[in-house]
Amino acid sequence: MAYDVDTAARRLEQADPRDILEEAVSGFDRIALSFSGAEDVVLVDMVADLGEEVEIFCLDTGRLHPETYRYLDKVRDHYGLDIELMFPDAEAVQQLVREKGLFSFYRDGHQECCAIRKIEPLRRKLATVEAWITGQRRDQSPTRAEVPVVQSDRAFSAPGHPLVKFNPLANWSSDEVWAYIAEHQVPYNELHQRGFKSIGCEPCTRPVAPHEHERAGRWWWEAATQKECGLHVTNIREADIKHVRESA
Amino acid sequence: MKITFVKKILADGSPCRKCGDVQKRLDETGQIERIDEVLIADERDPTSPGMILASDLGVSRAPFFVVEDGGERKVWTVYFKFAKEVLGGKEGKASDAARDILDDNPDLDYI
Repeated sequence: MAYDVDTAARRLEQADPRDILEEAVSGFDRIALSFSGAEDVVLVDMVADLGEEVEIFCLDTGRLHPETYRYLDKVRDHYGLDIELMFPDAEAVQQLVREKGLFSFYRDGHQECCAIRKIEPLRRKLATVEAWITGQRRDQSPTRAEVPVVQSDRAFSAPGHPLVKFNPLANWSSDEVWAYIAEHQVPYNELHQRGFKSIGCEPCTRPVAPHEHERAGRWWWEAATQKECGLHVTNIREADIKHVRESA
Repeated sequence: MKITFVKKILADGSPCRKCGDVQKRLDETGQIERIDEVLIADERDPTSPGMILASDLGVSRAPFFVVEDGGERKVWTVYFKFAKEVLGGKEGKASDAARDILDDNPDLDYI
């Protein structure tokens, strides 16, 4: 029987992340945990505690910090778990670099590079599973403000291949994550000690000041208007619309 | 069947980069011949045709496509899906499809 996402989302809305993880892992034979090499390591710790078979993967863009690569090995050794590294398509990277150089994102925006180095390998991985688990939290950025604890993944589902996405940390704050890391003595990426809150690729990530939001440490050179495809229809005045429609 | 392509001009007056990418793909593949109407959604002008249409249809992103067929209107905000499902084209390069996914799902930025 198909997993009832809407019912589960309501039932699990206030659930502890460990309970959400347990439901996810027990409900799907093919399920994978996405690990970014940052503070979402708490999910790796929780999965290790469950003792269930869960695939763990990380998107190796080829541009991560050396500290992150060392950290991935540290986590692998600490938990004795396999972490599958997903690499970008070599031909696509070669074409991008040949045409635009190694730092095109500073000029053309980060999406083109991210699509090749992160999204395509992610799509390839998710085509092999029924469900996946992420460390997405509502407090991370405005684009994640309404992330549910479980959802149908409309981005990566395909005809004949529905995909369910679990976000067990959706309700947790950054402080709660770090309290868990401290309490359970979970190994963490040393970049966090140097002011990095959100950790991505080396050229696109920088440390932030204590008062700054973690989003400020990513793609800081891009204007806010260039970061999104939203249509700001809320700015439309109803009177204008009515006038135009009547004129038409 | 009538197909409308809506592209955006940003609040600062500059053209939407993603819209330009999609326009380029339509031109390169010859799919532009299948588009009946191109509308501009100018964020500086809420009465521009594209903004009105977006409001009518409850669309909050651009670019997007509207297909009117038999009195029914359907919206696509992801180019590669539109091209595959409406124009019957091949999906194209995996990196193009990935770019569309990212543009349509900004929360994936931080994966």
